Amino acid sequence: MNHLPQAWGRPRDDVYGPYNNSYLQTSGPSQHTQSPIVTGTSVLAIKFKDGVVIAADNLASYGSLARFTDVKRLLRFNSRAVIGFGGDVSDMQYLTRLLSSLEINENYSVTSSTELAANNLHTYLHKVMYKRRSDFNPLWNQILIAGLDVADNPYLASVDLLGTTFSSPTLATGFGAHLAVPIMRRVCPDEEAAKELTQEQAVETVRECMKVLFYRDARSLDKYSIAVVTKEGVDLKHGEKLEKQSWAFAEGIRGYGTQVN
Amino acid sequence: MTSIGTGYDLSNSVFSPDGRNFQVEYAVKAVENGGTAIGIRCKDGVVLALEKLVVSKLLKHGANKRIATVDRNAGIVSSGLTPDGRHFVSRARDEAAQWRKLYKAPIPTSSLANRMGSYVQAYTLYSSVRPFGVTAIIGGWDAEDELPVDGMVGSGPSVGSGGKQEGSKKGGPSLYMIEPSGLYWGYYGAATGKGRQSAKSELEKLDLAAGNLTLEEGVKEAARILYFAHEDSKDKEFELEMTWISSKDGPTKGRHEEVPKELREEAERLAKKALEGDEDDEDTKMEE
Amino acid sequence: MFRNNYDSDTTTFSPQGRLFQVEYAQAAVGQGSIVVGAVSKSHAVLVALKRQAEELSSYQKKIIQIDSHLGIALSGLAADARVLSNFMKQQSMASHMTYDRPISIADISVRLCDRAQTHTQHAGSRPYGVGLLIAGVDGKGPHLFEFQPSGDAQEMVAASIGARSQAARTFLEDQVKEFESMDEATLITYTLRALIRSQPEDKVLSYDNTSIGVVGLEKSFKLLEGEEILEHVKRAYRLEGRAPEEYSENADEGGSME
Repeated sequence: MNHLPQAWGRPRDDVYGPYNNSYLQTSGPSQHTQSPIVTGTSVLAIKFKDGVVIAADNLASYGSLARFTDVKRLLRFNSRAVIGFGGDVSDMQYLTRLLSSLEINENYSVTSSTELAANNLHTYLHKVMYKRRSDFNPLWNQILIAGLDVADNPYLASVDLLGTTFSSPTLATGFGAHLAVPIMRRVCPDEEAAKELTQEQAVETVRECMKVLFYRDARSLDKYSIAVVTKEGVDLKHGEKLEKQSWAFAEGIRGYGTQVN
Repeated sequence: MTSIGTGYDLSNSVFSPDGRNFQVEYAVKAVENGGTAIGIRCKDGVVLALEKLVVSKLLKHGANKRIATVDRNAGIVSSGLTPDGRHFVSRARDEAAQWRKLYKAPIPTSSLANRMGSYVQAYTLYSSVRPFGVTAIIGGWDAEDELPVDGMVGSGPSVGSGGKQEGSKKGGPSLYMIEPSGLYWGYYGAATGKGRQSAKSELEKLDLAAGNLTLEEGVKEAARILYFAHEDSKDKEFELEMTWISSKDGPTKGRHEEVPKELREEAERLAKKALEGDEDDEDTKMEE
Repeated sequence: MFRNNYDSDTTTFSPQGRLFQVEYAQAAVGQGSIVVGAVSKSHAVLVALKRQAEELSSYQKKIIQIDSHLGIALSGLAADARVLSNFMKQQSMASHMTYDRPISIADISVRLCDRAQTHTQHAGSRPYGVGLLIAGVDGKGPHLFEFQPSGDAQEMVAASIGARSQAARTFLEDQVKEFESMDEATLITYTLRALIRSQPEDKVLSYDNTSIGVVGLEKSFKLLEGEEILEHVKRAYRLEGRAPEEYSENADEGGSME
């Protein structure tokens, strides 16, 4: 056993294998975040004829540990924009503070400037994210911006840790990009369909998708936040519970639920 | 001792033999020519009010707001050189933003006054700058409820370290006035600018120290006092600008906002009536 | 050399609390040729009288477009105005880049003021020697601001700065209630009338000494010069009840001969 001071407090090499010293790098190029730490999973959003619905669950995972179960990942920016964050929670908290200082600045004078619309916010967040990735120090998030644009039309767009932007009548981040998007596209395949969709249909679809994600995403929770942005403003609810779950399908799947072999 | 001609008043940061900094005193003169500004600290909020003299018919009515918001919960009204007032406000906003960055909380009004006092004082120290030509009144409401753990994110621990104290109350209304020297005091009622003398004597009659005046009464008193002070100085037209800050449960929900048009107009109507009443009194006395 | 002991730099207050260097800078604005501006509920207009330094030189540029929704007219030191207009263009572009939003007229005016104010409080620089009329349209409609070297900008219904501008202001004050409901052409005509009133009888607005800048809710900022201004100028003269030779009915179309 190694009794030298540099081994004190370290796991024993003969038991746990040699300590990975690359984490204690003292030379070579400087490094920033290589991976997220505490993370939030999917954010879902769908446009409908009068606005946008957006949802995200209330879980923050530390690896596979469900570490925090009351985290609000939807942020109401103003009466016409809600922002949903997937990915690293501390980076989300940083962005929250950044946006709150932006909000304070915007409200110094309510008479001189118009409220920031969702598309203005998207441009702003894109600038922030792209700047950070170009510094090789990304904010490890996937972000959806849902709300109304300057002309009061429904607006939905995303920006991610690479500074990539994308817009579509249905959007989802993380696991949801694989599991929820196909379901949402069934009711809303394109912009024309979004113009026909009612608020009830949109909300129902998003709730259904949250349920599917809870069934299949092991980093998700049955408690979630959901927001509807329309001309009437933002209706944001935290701590919603998934209703009418049915785990019957699990019976038929090997390695899922109770059936082990 | 007179200042002029001695040479001691030509540069900032120079003391005269009897220990005065004349440049600061001259800056105060710039303030004394500005429109009257007042602040009233009520039991459930703060009112700031300004007499804005209409210097040209071509000015857009109701535009050109001069009472500024700092952070969400504080406001600044100043009298003197308008551009200096704007510089002052811009610094106050920076201070508030820096405080938030460091502490994740809004700056307490007392700390804001302290920081701004230091800033203004620094402009009396060097010959390369001149003092501020403004006296500024800072009004704020320090939140009485506990701050969320990190803005919108999570609710934090319910017990133990960082847990919440049931029913804890702190904070409340604050009012400070900062002079060109950097000197500042906390006030119940503060007045500066042209009509400060008569405004002060009116404020003193309100017995603000007793803490009985409500915010809404404060708004009406502020309007009345500015109309009263204006009458004395014999200027022509003016616009009344008023803002207020209440507690979280009050009309502004802890934010610094403009007094709603209806209430302001009501307050102005009462102010005019009160003035007419005074004149009637004087007339009757004369007759007697 | 100095008029008194207190006017040699911007960091000295006079015993009355005045800043003479700033006041003198304001006087420089009054030396420039006149500019006039006005707003209706749909448009903002700037008009300017251009000077020619000498017979063989071009006319001085008086109206500068900053962005598609915003322009300025200047009076005073043109070189200072160029610095300020570059600054405004940068601020305006930054707003597009960062927020995909045209900057509000009040915002850009305040930024200009903040910059100008620092030149009145620190030694080692002088105040700007130029006044600006800032006209533009934003989310809250058309606006007109008058900027002064002191670092102050006020929102106006109509304004005029520069040499002989008092006569123009007097005319504008008489009309102040009328501007709001005017259409584009009328608004231009009235601001031109203010310009005409500020000038002596023998000084005629022409083809090459007049510029017009106009911006509206549905219309990007446009600088009118040369031929484009003639109709407006003629109409203004007609309303003034004056018919300079250049604009009499039988003079040939196409404008001015000095």
